[in-house]
Amino acid sequence: MIGPEFPDVLDAAASGEEEAFGRLWRDLQPRLLRYFMVAAPAVAEDLASETWLGVVRGLDRFRGNEPAFRAWVFTIARHELLDWRRRAARRATEDLPMNGLTDQPAPDDPAAAALEDISTRSALAQVATLPADQAEAIVLRVVAGLGVDRVAAIMGKRPGTVRVLTHRGLRRLAERLGADHIRGMV
Amino acid sequence: MRRSPAKPDADPLALDDETVERLLTGELSPAQAPPAYAEVAALLAAMAAPPSPEELSGQAAALAELRKTTRPGRAAAGTRRATRPPRRRLGLAAVVLAGALATGGVAAAATGHIPAPVREVARGILAPLGDGTPPAPPAEPGSPPDPVATGGPASAGPATSSQGSQPTGTTRPGPAATVPGSAAGLDNKGLCQAYLAGKDAEPGKKRESSALQALARAAGGEDKIAGYCAELLPDGAKPDGGNDDKPEPGGQGQGQGGPPPSSGPGNQDERAPDAPGR
Repeated sequence: MIGPEFPDVLDAAASGEEEAFGRLWRDLQPRLLRYFMVAAPAVAEDLASETWLGVVRGLDRFRGNEPAFRAWVFTIARHELLDWRRRAARRATEDLPMNGLTDQPAPDDPAAAALEDISTRSALAQVATLPADQAEAIVLRVVAGLGVDRVAAIMGKRPGTVRVLTHRGLRRLAERLGADHIRGMV
Repeated sequence: MRRSPAKPDADPLALDDETVERLLTGELSPAQAPPAYAEVAALLAAMAAPPSPEELSGQAAALAELRKTTRPGRAAAGTRRATRPPRRRLGLAAVVLAGALATGGVAAAATGHIPAPVREVARGILAPLGDGTPPAPPAEPGSPPDPVATGGPASAGPATSSQGSQPTGTTRPGPAATVPGSAAGLDNKGLCQAYLAGKDAEPGKKRESSALQALARAAGGEDKIAGYCAELLPDGAKPDGGNDDKPEPGGQGQGQGGPPPSSGPGNQDERAPDAPGR
Protein backbone atom coordinates (compact mmCIF):
# COMPACT_ATOMS: atom_id res chain seq x y z
CA MET A 1 0.00 0.00 0.00
CA ILE A 2 1.23 3.45 -0.84
CA GLY A 3 -0.85 5.43 1.62
CA PRO A 4 -1.34 9.18 1.86
CA GLU A 5 1.06 9.87 -0.98
CA PHE A 6 -1.07 7.89 -3.36
CA PRO A 7 -2.73 10.77 -5.23
CA ASP A 8 0.65 12.32 -5.97
CA VAL A 9 2.15 9.01 -6.99
CA LEU A 10 -0.78 8.30 -9.27
CA ASP A 11 -0.57 11.73 -10.83
CA ALA A 12 3.13 11.37 -11.46
CA ALA A 13 2.82 7.86 -12.81
CA ALA A 14 0.08 8.93 -15.19
CA SER A 15 2.41 11.60 -16.47
CA GLY A 16 5.00 8.95 -17.20
CA GLU A 17 7.25 9.41 -14.22
CA GLU A 18 9.05 6.14 -13.86
CA GLU A 19 9.80 6.26 -10.19
CA ALA A 20 6.15 6.83 -9.36
CA PHE A 21 5.04 4.12 -11.72
CA GLY A 22 7.61 1.83 -10.17
CA ARG A 23 6.02 2.31 -6.78
CA LEU A 24 2.62 1.35 -8.11
CA TRP A 25 4.15 -1.59 -9.88
CA ARG A 26 5.99 -2.89 -6.83
CA ASP A 27 2.84 -2.69 -4.76
CA LEU A 28 0.59 -4.43 -7.25
CA GLN A 29 2.69 -6.83 -9.27
CA PRO A 30 3.20 -9.40 -6.49
CA ARG A 31 -0.51 -9.36 -5.81
CA LEU A 32 -1.31 -9.82 -9.48
CA LEU A 33 1.12 -12.69 -9.79
CA ARG A 34 -0.42 -14.45 -6.82
CA TYR A 35 -3.92 -13.89 -8.17
CA PHE A 36 -2.97 -15.47 -11.48
CA MET A 37 -0.97 -18.24 -9.79
CA VAL A 38 -4.16 -19.57 -8.29
CA ALA A 39 -6.20 -19.50 -11.46
CA ALA A 40 -3.71 -19.80 -14.33
CA PRO A 41 -0.26 -20.60 -13.01
CA ALA A 42 1.32 -21.48 -16.34
CA VAL A 43 0.66 -18.01 -17.70
CA ALA A 44 0.69 -15.93 -14.55
CA GLU A 45 3.50 -13.64 -15.65
CA ASP A 46 2.05 -13.15 -19.10
CA LEU A 47 -1.35 -12.26 -17.75
CA ALA A 48 0.21 -9.86 -15.27
CA SER A 49 2.03 -8.13 -18.13
CA GLU A 50 -1.17 -7.87 -20.09
CA THR A 51 -2.84 -6.38 -17.06
CA TRP A 52 -0.17 -3.69 -16.82
CA LEU A 53 -0.69 -2.76 -20.45
CA GLY A 54 -4.31 -2.15 -19.65
CA VAL A 55 -3.40 -0.19 -16.57
CA VAL A 56 -0.95 2.03 -18.39
CA ARG A 57 -3.46 2.74 -21.13
CA GLY A 58 -6.10 3.83 -18.69
CA LEU A 59 -3.88 5.41 -16.09
CA ASP A 60 -4.41 9.06 -16.87
CA ARG A 61 -8.17 8.64 -16.99
CA PHE A 62 -8.41 6.91 -13.65
CA ARG A 63 -9.95 8.83 -10.79
CA GLY A 64 -10.14 7.52 -7.27
CA ASN A 65 -8.30 6.64 -4.14
CA GLU A 66 -5.92 3.80 -3.54
CA PRO A 67 -8.39 0.99 -2.80
CA ALA A 68 -10.43 2.07 -5.81
CA PHE A 69 -7.29 1.95 -7.92
CA ARG A 70 -6.42 -1.50 -6.73
CA ALA A 71 -9.96 -2.66 -7.45
CA TRP A 72 -9.69 -1.18 -10.94
CA VAL A 73 -6.41 -2.98 -11.58
CA PHE A 74 -7.91 -6.27 -10.48
CA THR A 75 -10.94 -5.71 -12.65
CA ILE A 76 -8.54 -5.50 -15.56
CA ALA A 77 -6.74 -8.58 -14.29
CA ARG A 78 -9.95 -10.54 -14.14
CA HIS A 79 -10.82 -9.59 -17.69
CA GLU A 80 -7.42 -10.81 -18.81
CA LEU A 81 -8.04 -14.07 -17.03
CA LEU A 82 -11.45 -14.58 -18.57
CA ASP A 83 -10.13 -13.68 -22.01
CA TRP A 84 -7.34 -16.16 -21.61
CA ARG A 85 -9.76 -18.86 -20.55
CA ARG A 86 -11.91 -18.22 -23.62
CA ARG A 87 -8.89 -18.39 -25.90
CA ALA A 88 -7.67 -21.52 -24.18
CA ALA A 89 -11.08 -23.15 -24.51
CA ARG A 90 -11.10 -22.39 -28.21
CA ARG A 91 -7.68 -23.96 -28.54
CA ALA A 92 -9.09 -26.94 -26.67
CA THR A 93 -5.78 -27.65 -25.06
CA GLU A 94 -5.50 -30.35 -22.52
CA ASP A 95 -4.05 -28.34 -19.71
CA LEU A 96 -6.98 -26.06 -19.20
CA PRO A 97 -6.77 -25.21 -15.56
CA MET A 98 -10.05 -23.56 -14.88
CA ASN A 99 -8.82 -23.76 -11.40
CA GLY A 100 -5.86 -25.20 -9.63
CA LEU A 101 -2.17 -25.48 -10.13
CA THR A 102 -1.47 -28.15 -12.66
CA ASP A 103 2.24 -27.98 -12.16
CA GLN A 104 2.25 -27.56 -8.44
CA PRO A 105 1.08 -30.48 -6.37
CA ALA A 106 -0.41 -29.71 -3.03
CA PRO A 107 1.82 -30.47 -0.07
CA ASP A 108 1.70 -34.05 1.03
CA ASP A 109 1.20 -33.10 4.62
CA PRO A 110 -0.80 -29.95 4.48
CA ALA A 111 -1.15 -29.55 8.20
CA ALA A 112 2.54 -29.82 8.87
CA ALA A 113 3.36 -27.47 6.05
CA ALA A 114 0.87 -24.97 7.35
CA LEU A 115 2.25 -24.96 10.81
CA GLU A 116 5.81 -24.60 9.71
CA ASP A 117 7.24 -21.86 7.57
CA ILE A 118 4.71 -22.28 4.84
CA SER A 119 5.67 -20.61 1.66
CA THR A 120 3.43 -18.35 -0.29
CA ARG A 121 3.46 -20.77 -3.15
CA SER A 122 2.19 -23.71 -1.20
CA ALA A 123 -0.44 -21.54 0.41
CA LEU A 124 -1.65 -20.51 -3.03
CA ALA A 125 -1.55 -24.13 -4.11
CA GLN A 126 -3.88 -25.06 -1.31
CA VAL A 127 -6.29 -22.30 -2.19
CA ALA A 128 -6.15 -23.31 -5.83
CA THR A 129 -7.71 -26.65 -5.00
CA LEU A 130 -10.89 -24.95 -3.84
CA PRO A 131 -13.83 -24.38 -6.14
CA ALA A 132 -12.93 -21.52 -8.45
CA ASP A 133 -15.25 -18.90 -7.00
CA GLN A 134 -14.25 -19.64 -3.44
CA ALA A 135 -10.59 -19.45 -4.38
CA GLU A 136 -11.01 -16.19 -6.25
CA ALA A 137 -13.00 -14.56 -3.48
CA ILE A 138 -10.36 -15.48 -0.93
CA VAL A 139 -7.51 -14.29 -3.12
CA LEU A 140 -9.18 -10.97 -3.83
CA ARG A 141 -9.84 -10.43 -0.14
CA VAL A 142 -6.50 -11.54 1.16
CA VAL A 143 -3.98 -10.91 -1.60
CA ALA A 144 -5.57 -7.93 -3.29
CA GLY A 145 -6.63 -6.67 0.10
CA LEU A 146 -10.04 -5.56 -1.08
CA GLY A 147 -13.19 -5.36 0.97
CA VAL A 148 -16.34 -7.34 0.43
CA ASP A 149 -18.14 -4.73 -1.64
CA ARG A 150 -15.27 -4.21 -4.04
CA VAL A 151 -14.68 -7.92 -4.43
CA ALA A 152 -18.37 -8.35 -5.14
CA ALA A 153 -18.23 -5.69 -7.82
CA ILE A 154 -15.18 -7.27 -9.43
CA MET A 155 -16.70 -10.74 -9.44
CA GLY A 156 -20.11 -9.54 -10.51
CA LYS A 157 -21.76 -11.00 -7.44
CA ARG A 158 -23.64 -9.75 -4.44
CA PRO A 159 -21.66 -8.99 -1.28
CA GLY A 160 -23.59 -11.66 0.59
CA THR A 161 -22.52 -14.20 -1.96
CA VAL A 162 -18.90 -13.19 -1.58
CA ARG A 163 -19.19 -13.63 2.17
CA VAL A 164 -20.60 -17.09 1.74
CA LEU A 165 -17.85 -17.99 -0.72
CA THR A 166 -15.06 -16.95 1.60
CA HIS A 167 -16.75 -18.59 4.55
CA ARG A 168 -17.06 -21.86 2.71
CA GLY A 169 -13.57 -21.64 1.32
CA LEU A 170 -12.02 -21.12 4.72
CA ARG A 171 -14.03 -23.96 6.13
CA ARG A 172 -12.90 -26.28 3.40
CA LEU A 173 -9.31 -25.31 4.01
CA ALA A 174 -9.74 -25.95 7.71
CA GLU A 175 -11.24 -29.34 7.01
CA ARG A 176 -8.29 -30.27 4.88
CA LEU A 177 -5.57 -28.76 7.00
CA GLY A 178 -7.01 -29.42 10.40
CA ALA A 179 -8.53 -32.82 9.84
CA ASP A 180 -5.82 -34.53 11.78
CA HIS A 181 -6.25 -32.19 14.67
CA ILE A 182 -9.97 -32.64 14.80
CA ARG A 183 -9.69 -36.36 14.85
CA GLY A 184 -7.05 -36.08 17.52
CA MET A 185 -9.31 -34.06 19.74
CA VAL A 186 -11.21 -37.05 21.01
CA MET B 1 -20.54 -33.89 7.89
CA ARG B 2 -19.27 -33.81 11.44
CA ARG B 3 -16.08 -35.20 12.73
CA SER B 4 -16.24 -33.99 16.27
CA PRO B 5 -16.87 -36.92 18.53
CA ALA B 6 -15.80 -34.97 21.58
CA LYS B 7 -18.60 -32.43 21.37
CA PRO B 8 -21.44 -33.71 19.27
CA ASP B 9 -23.38 -30.51 19.69
CA ALA B 10 -20.56 -28.15 18.80
CA ASP B 11 -19.11 -27.88 15.34
CA PRO B 12 -15.44 -27.03 15.77
CA LEU B 13 -15.37 -25.70 12.26
CA ALA B 14 -18.24 -23.31 12.80
CA LEU B 15 -17.36 -19.70 12.16
CA ASP B 16 -19.31 -16.52 12.59
CA ASP B 17 -19.09 -13.76 10.02
CA GLU B 18 -16.94 -11.56 12.16
CA THR B 19 -14.35 -14.27 12.67
CA VAL B 20 -14.27 -14.95 8.95
CA GLU B 21 -13.65 -11.28 8.40
CA ARG B 22 -10.90 -11.11 10.96
CA LEU B 23 -9.21 -14.13 9.47
CA LEU B 24 -9.36 -12.65 5.99
CA THR B 25 -7.90 -9.34 7.08
CA GLY B 26 -5.10 -11.02 8.97
CA GLU B 27 -6.29 -9.66 12.24
CA LEU B 28 -6.26 -13.11 13.80
CA SER B 29 -2.91 -14.75 14.06
CA PRO B 30 -2.69 -18.53 14.16
CA ALA B 31 -2.54 -18.31 17.93
CA GLN B 32 -5.63 -16.10 18.08
CA ALA B 33 -7.70 -18.00 15.58
CA PRO B 34 -10.25 -20.60 16.60
CA PRO B 35 -8.28 -23.79 17.17
CA ALA B 36 -9.58 -25.51 14.05
CA TYR B 37 -8.45 -22.54 11.99
CA ALA B 38 -4.91 -22.07 13.23
CA GLU B 39 -3.46 -23.64 10.11
CA VAL B 40 -5.80 -21.63 7.93
CA ALA B 41 -4.66 -18.45 9.61
CA ALA B 42 -1.06 -19.40 8.89
CA LEU B 43 -1.95 -20.15 5.31
CA LEU B 44 -3.66 -16.81 4.84
CA ALA B 45 -0.67 -15.05 6.34
CA ALA B 46 1.58 -16.82 3.88
CA MET B 47 -0.64 -15.72 1.02
CA ALA B 48 -0.27 -12.16 2.16
CA ALA B 49 3.43 -12.31 2.87
CA PRO B 50 5.69 -9.53 1.63
CA PRO B 51 6.85 -9.73 -1.97
CA SER B 52 9.70 -12.02 -2.86
CA PRO B 53 12.62 -10.87 -5.00
CA GLU B 54 11.35 -13.08 -7.81
CA GLU B 55 8.00 -11.39 -7.78
CA LEU B 56 9.70 -8.04 -8.12
CA SER B 57 12.19 -9.04 -10.74
CA GLY B 58 10.20 -7.82 -13.72
CA GLN B 59 10.27 -4.15 -12.86
CA ALA B 60 12.79 -3.10 -15.49
CA ALA B 61 10.75 -4.74 -18.22
CA ALA B 62 7.60 -3.10 -16.92
CA LEU B 63 9.22 0.32 -17.00
CA ALA B 64 10.38 -0.33 -20.53
CA GLU B 65 6.78 -1.02 -21.48
CA LEU B 66 5.75 2.20 -19.80
CA ARG B 67 8.28 4.12 -21.84
CA LYS B 68 6.96 2.62 -25.02
CA THR B 69 3.37 3.33 -24.16
CA THR B 70 3.78 6.82 -22.82
CA ARG B 71 3.75 9.20 -25.70
CA PRO B 72 7.23 10.34 -26.48
CA GLY B 73 7.95 13.98 -25.96
CA ARG B 74 7.39 15.52 -22.63
CA ALA B 75 5.22 18.14 -24.26
CA ALA B 76 2.48 15.58 -24.45
CA ALA B 77 2.90 14.78 -20.82
CA GLY B 78 2.69 18.43 -20.01
CA THR B 79 -0.52 18.72 -21.97
CA ARG B 80 -1.98 15.75 -20.23
CA ARG B 81 -1.20 17.22 -16.90
CA ALA B 82 -2.80 20.48 -17.83
CA THR B 83 -6.02 18.93 -18.98
CA ARG B 84 -6.40 16.72 -15.97
CA PRO B 85 -8.04 18.19 -12.94
CA PRO B 86 -5.05 19.55 -11.14
CA ARG B 87 -3.86 17.24 -8.46
CA ARG B 88 -1.22 19.42 -7.06
CA ARG B 89 1.68 18.07 -5.12
CA LEU B 90 1.12 18.10 -1.44
CA GLY B 91 3.04 21.01 -0.15
CA LEU B 92 3.04 23.43 2.67
CA ALA B 93 -0.40 24.70 1.79
CA ALA B 94 -1.73 21.21 2.07
CA VAL B 95 -0.16 20.70 5.45
CA VAL B 96 -1.64 23.95 6.63
CA LEU B 97 -4.98 23.03 5.22
CA ALA B 98 -4.94 19.67 6.87
CA GLY B 99 -4.17 21.37 10.12
CA ALA B 100 -6.93 23.88 9.57
CA LEU B 101 -9.50 21.24 8.82
CA ALA B 102 -8.42 19.22 11.79
CA THR B 103 -8.95 22.13 14.08
CA GLY B 104 -12.40 22.86 12.86
CA GLY B 105 -11.71 24.85 9.80
CA VAL B 106 -10.84 27.88 11.83
CA ALA B 107 -8.63 29.23 9.13
CA ALA B 108 -11.35 28.77 6.60
CA ALA B 109 -13.77 30.56 8.83
CA ALA B 110 -11.34 33.36 9.31
CA THR B 111 -10.77 33.98 5.65
CA GLY B 112 -14.34 33.34 4.67
CA HIS B 113 -13.49 30.86 2.00
CA ILE B 114 -10.85 28.56 0.73
CA PRO B 115 -9.39 29.48 -2.61
CA ALA B 116 -9.88 27.03 -5.41
CA PRO B 117 -6.36 25.63 -5.66
CA VAL B 118 -6.36 24.86 -1.98
CA ARG B 119 -9.72 23.15 -2.37
CA GLU B 120 -8.14 20.90 -4.90
CA VAL B 121 -5.38 20.17 -2.46
CA ALA B 122 -7.99 19.32 0.10
CA ARG B 123 -9.32 16.71 -2.23
CA GLY B 124 -5.89 15.38 -2.70
CA ILE B 125 -5.41 15.03 1.02
CA LEU B 126 -8.82 13.76 1.83
CA ALA B 127 -9.23 11.45 -1.10
CA PRO B 128 -7.18 8.65 0.44
CA LEU B 129 -9.41 8.75 3.46
CA GLY B 130 -12.53 8.44 1.49
CA ASP B 131 -13.94 6.70 -1.48
CA GLY B 132 -13.18 7.31 -5.07
CA THR B 133 -14.82 10.64 -5.27
CA PRO B 134 -12.81 12.21 -7.98
CA PRO B 135 -11.13 15.54 -8.04
CA ALA B 136 -13.45 16.29 -10.89
CA PRO B 137 -14.48 19.87 -11.43
CA PRO B 138 -16.75 20.78 -8.59
CA ALA B 139 -20.39 21.14 -9.36
CA GLU B 140 -20.15 24.82 -8.73
CA PRO B 141 -16.72 25.89 -9.71
CA GLY B 142 -17.27 29.46 -8.84
CA SER B 143 -18.70 28.99 -5.44
CA PRO B 144 -16.25 30.19 -2.87
CA PRO B 145 -18.57 30.94 0.02
CA ASP B 146 -19.03 27.35 0.92
CA PRO B 147 -15.63 25.94 1.45
CA VAL B 148 -16.56 23.20 3.80
CA ALA B 149 -19.35 21.98 1.63
CA THR B 150 -17.11 21.89 -1.36
CA GLY B 151 -14.80 19.95 0.78
CA GLY B 152 -17.75 17.66 1.24
CA PRO B 153 -17.27 15.31 -1.64
CA ALA B 154 -13.63 15.25 -0.89
CA SER B 155 -14.02 14.51 2.75
CA ALA B 156 -15.67 11.64 1.18
CA GLY B 157 -14.67 9.19 3.77
CA PRO B 158 -17.72 9.75 5.85
CA ALA B 159 -19.89 10.77 2.99
CA THR B 160 -19.33 7.64 1.07
CA SER B 161 -18.96 5.33 3.92
CA SER B 162 -22.23 6.36 5.41
CA GLN B 163 -24.24 7.89 2.67
CA GLY B 164 -23.81 11.37 3.94
CA SER B 165 -25.15 10.63 7.34
CA GLN B 166 -21.79 11.08 8.95
CA PRO B 167 -21.09 14.59 10.02
CA THR B 168 -17.48 15.36 10.25
CA GLY B 169 -17.82 19.06 10.36
CA THR B 170 -16.49 19.39 6.89
CA THR B 171 -19.70 18.61 5.13
CA ARG B 172 -21.76 21.17 6.94
CA PRO B 173 -22.16 24.26 4.91
CA GLY B 174 -20.90 27.48 6.29
CA PRO B 175 -20.39 26.26 9.81
CA ALA B 176 -16.69 25.87 9.90
CA ALA B 177 -17.25 26.35 13.56
CA THR B 178 -19.62 23.51 14.13
CA VAL B 179 -17.14 20.74 14.19
CA PRO B 180 -19.09 18.10 15.97
CA GLY B 181 -17.48 16.79 19.05
CA SER B 182 -14.03 18.14 18.97
CA ALA B 183 -11.00 18.49 16.85
CA ALA B 184 -9.71 15.34 18.43
CA GLY B 185 -12.86 13.55 17.42
CA LEU B 186 -12.41 14.70 13.86
CA ASP B 187 -8.82 13.57 13.87
CA ASN B 188 -9.74 10.17 15.12
CA LYS B 189 -12.46 9.79 12.55
CA GLY B 190 -9.87 10.51 9.92
CA LEU B 191 -7.51 8.07 11.52
CA CYS B 192 -10.24 5.47 11.63
CA GLN B 193 -10.95 6.06 7.98
CA ALA B 194 -7.33 5.59 7.15
CA TYR B 195 -7.10 2.60 9.44
CA LEU B 196 -10.09 0.96 7.87
CA ALA B 197 -8.95 1.77 4.39
CA GLY B 198 -5.45 0.68 5.05
CA LYS B 199 -5.80 -2.42 7.11
CA ASP B 200 -7.05 -4.42 4.23
CA ALA B 201 -4.32 -3.29 1.93
CA GLU B 202 -1.07 -4.09 3.54
CA PRO B 203 -0.25 -7.71 3.33
CA GLY B 204 2.52 -8.70 5.58
CA LYS B 205 3.32 -5.28 6.91
CA LYS B 206 3.27 -4.63 10.59
CA ARG B 207 0.98 -1.70 11.09
CA GLU B 208 3.07 0.24 13.45
CA SER B 209 2.82 3.89 13.10
CA SER B 210 2.26 6.91 15.21
CA ALA B 211 -1.21 7.10 13.73
CA LEU B 212 -1.95 3.60 14.85
CA GLN B 213 -0.59 4.30 18.27
CA ALA B 214 -2.67 7.42 18.54
CA LEU B 215 -5.73 5.40 17.67
CA ALA B 216 -4.72 2.75 20.15
CA ARG B 217 -4.44 5.38 22.87
CA ALA B 218 -7.83 6.77 22.02
CA ALA B 219 -9.36 3.34 21.91
CA GLY B 220 -7.66 2.09 25.06
CA GLY B 221 -5.58 -0.55 23.36
CA GLU B 222 -4.63 -1.75 19.92
CA ASP B 223 -7.07 -4.61 20.12
CA LYS B 224 -9.84 -2.14 20.84
CA ILE B 225 -9.28 -0.05 17.75
CA ALA B 226 -11.73 -1.98 15.64
CA GLY B 227 -14.48 -1.50 18.19
CA TYR B 228 -13.58 2.14 18.73
CA CYS B 229 -13.68 2.88 15.04
CA ALA B 230 -16.92 0.99 14.73
CA GLU B 231 -18.47 3.35 17.21
CA LEU B 232 -16.97 6.38 15.60
CA LEU B 233 -17.93 5.38 12.10
CA PRO B 234 -20.90 3.08 12.48
CA ASP B 235 -21.58 2.88 8.81
CA GLY B 236 -18.06 2.73 7.64
CA ALA B 237 -16.92 -0.01 9.90
CA LYS B 238 -19.23 -2.91 9.42
CA PRO B 239 -17.44 -6.10 10.35
CA ASP B 240 -18.51 -7.66 7.11
CA GLY B 241 -16.10 -5.93 4.85
CA GLY B 242 -16.35 -2.46 6.23
CA ASN B 243 -12.62 -2.18 6.01
CA ASP B 244 -13.05 -1.05 2.50
CA ASP B 245 -14.30 2.25 1.30
CA LYS B 246 -17.82 1.16 1.48
CA PRO B 247 -20.45 1.85 -1.04
CA GLU B 248 -18.64 0.90 -4.14
CA PRO B 249 -21.09 -1.19 -6.12
CA GLY B 250 -23.44 0.65 -8.33
CA GLY B 251 -20.75 2.95 -9.51
CA GLN B 252 -20.95 5.32 -6.64
CA GLY B 253 -17.32 4.93 -6.01
CA GLN B 254 -16.10 6.76 -9.01
CA GLY B 255 -17.69 10.01 -8.28
CA GLN B 256 -20.61 11.37 -6.50
CA GLY B 257 -22.60 13.33 -9.00
CA GLY B 258 -22.64 16.50 -7.03
CA PRO B 259 -22.18 17.76 -3.54
CA PRO B 260 -24.18 16.00 -0.90
CA PRO B 261 -27.55 17.44 0.01
CA SER B 262 -26.07 18.98 3.09
CA SER B 263 -24.65 21.67 0.94
CA GLY B 264 -28.15 22.74 0.01
CA PRO B 265 -28.35 25.80 2.18
CA GLY B 266 -25.01 26.83 0.84
CA ASN B 267 -26.42 26.69 -2.63
CA GLN B 268 -29.26 28.87 -1.65
CA ASP B 269 -26.87 31.41 -0.32
CA GLU B 270 -25.03 31.42 -3.55
CA ARG B 271 -28.15 31.82 -5.54
CA ALA B 272 -29.44 34.61 -3.39
CA PRO B 273 -28.24 37.36 -5.69
CA ASP B 274 -30.09 35.74 -8.53
CA ALA B 275 -33.22 35.09 -6.63
CA PRO B 276 -36.04 37.23 -7.87
CA GLY B 277 -36.87 37.83 -4.28
CA ARG B 278 -40.39 36.69 -4.65
